[in-house]
Amino acid sequence: MQDTGVHLREVRKSFGAAEVIRGVDMDVRRGEFAVFVGPSGCGKSTLLRMIAGLEETTDGKIVIGDRDVTDEDPVDRGVAMVFQSYALYPHLSVYENMAFSLRLAKRPRAEIDEKVREAAGILQLIEHLDKKPGQLSGGQRQRVAIGRAIVRAPDVFLFDEPLSNLDAELRVQMRLELARLHQKLGATMIYVTHDQVEAMTLADRIFVLQGGHVQQSGAPLDLYDDPSNRFVAGFIGSPSMNFFDAVVEAQTGQGVTVRLTGQPDLPLDIVLADPPAPGTEIVLGIRPEHLAVTDGEGLRVTVDVAEELGGVSYQHGTLEGGDAVIFQQIGARHEMHGTVQTVVPEPGRAFAFDRSGTRIR
Amino acid sequence: MTAKRARNIAFTALVLIAAAIWIFPLYWALTTSLRSENRIVSDAGILMDELNFSAYIDVLSTSKLPLWYLNSVGTSLIITFLILLTGMMCAYALSQLRFPGRRALYLLVVASFMVPAPALYVAQFVLMNDLDMVNTWWGIILPQLIAPVVIIVYKQFFDAIPHEMREAVLLDGGGEFTLLFKLYLPLNWGITAALSIITFIGAWNNFFWPFLIVTSEGMMTIPVGITQVTDSFGVAYARMMALALLAAAPVIVGYLIFQKRVTEAVMISAGVKG
Repeated sequence: MQDTGVHLREVRKSFGAAEVIRGVDMDVRRGEFAVFVGPSGCGKSTLLRMIAGLEETTDGKIVIGDRDVTDEDPVDRGVAMVFQSYALYPHLSVYENMAFSLRLAKRPRAEIDEKVREAAGILQLIEHLDKKPGQLSGGQRQRVAIGRAIVRAPDVFLFDEPLSNLDAELRVQMRLELARLHQKLGATMIYVTHDQVEAMTLADRIFVLQGGHVQQSGAPLDLYDDPSNRFVAGFIGSPSMNFFDAVVEAQTGQGVTVRLTGQPDLPLDIVLADPPAPGTEIVLGIRPEHLAVTDGEGLRVTVDVAEELGGVSYQHGTLEGGDAVIFQQIGARHEMHGTVQTVVPEPGRAFAFDRSGTRIR
Repeated sequence: MTAKRARNIAFTALVLIAAAIWIFPLYWALTTSLRSENRIVSDAGILMDELNFSAYIDVLSTSKLPLWYLNSVGTSLIITFLILLTGMMCAYALSQLRFPGRRALYLLVVASFMVPAPALYVAQFVLMNDLDMVNTWWGIILPQLIAPVVIIVYKQFFDAIPHEMREAVLLDGGGEFTLLFKLYLPLNWGITAALSIITFIGAWNNFFWPFLIVTSEGMMTIPVGITQVTDSFGVAYARMMALALLAAAPVIVGYLIFQKRVTEAVMISAGVKG
């Protein structure tokens, strides 16, 4: 089968003096669902638009399959894009919206009809083919936008935050539909979002971007379980990881003993292959689900807000030193709001980072 | 009776008086055209008391009215088509393409508002004469193709179309012509219709330039033709009024059909010019 992967080599993009993409290397394999995720302004949409050919590449190389497409026009790259605003043509019917690219390519009428009806069948749009986009709901419009991409049978589908204009319920539904569509079509897909829940649930592989760099890439759970720096650790996972300043007290045989700043009563043993010297200031990262309530010694948290979600609850509070902290409770039914709770990290669940944010392993 | 109701009645009365003032010239033209020439210059009253169609029969049978109609319709249609086409393409370039001098070009278009058309008449006449276009349709048409308002209105509407729609067309394999004629134009049929109407009416009503460039009776447009209705005793009022009404008839009928669009067009162009 033809390779339809997307490969970026030292790709850069500048707008005037401002460099927004700073040397990105990545490989999206054929049939993979890749997600670019990151905060606003991290360059994820720009990178997607560069792959689409809607932004010129200042430097570097973009290869789709085995073709260098860096200087090709968008239409010649074998990509189709679904936009955040859908970008449907409001004066054309659903059918004509989906047929537009095939008509421009002067495909035979019978072929156009077959492809449009096939895509409409996959997306349950058959009964809406004669309607104008203005007569459709948000979810249906999104499906038309996806249908417009499908009929072109592209090598690569590009999605630019396609679900952000939908309400919460529809977003969950469309997320599942996209996952099913990917399974059905088996095409290479690249998806941009700032919503890490979308990234976690859809991706085969996530690329976390910040400041024009790929901070880390990998399978969703690999990023969750083994972040390579503080930014990725904080960005992947909801609610975010807790971070505490700490000082290395002593080296042990397997790692270090650290003490959290402002918490002199709680020495913690961290397993590290390359332990820093005693006295080194580090940052400890602990996920909310890895802080357990205890009756014994631990971190004393004054809970000020409790988010009760039914099965799970998130307790937001502050440590005695003023640091914010979140811990998770499962199935708890006692009101914690306003109380002081003692929590301890589960053994082996704390991540250590140096002051610059790099993971200490 | 409440104060509000009184105010409403006063306002309605005021509007009726204004309407009467506006309609009177038309009424007077109609009344005059239905009188004999002798009666017009004698002691005719204000009321319509005669139904004499001789003026109409006279202009229809003796003047070159059918030819003038043809000239008016032909030149107005060509002017409208060319202004819309070139204006739309120019506006598209100014709105969507990035090229050196784009801003300067737009400023030039805006600045051309400041030059009144009659200021160019002498130069244009000399040019048309040199090009041997006196007494031709092109002589009438070419100098009337300067219409910055069309460019500015189109540009504003093109600017408002979301950029992602343009990018979707590019990804679908469309170029600039596809974008203009399959996306930007169909999305702006409303404004295109409005601009067509106002441009057509402007071209139809234009008197002074055709009056200068045409001397042969066979090439005249209707407004110029009206000046030809004289007889050996001087101006023939009834015939002139009959001709004026016949000249205005297509525009009036057109206006009645496209009333809403015309109002829209006037509002838009007034907004730009204001």
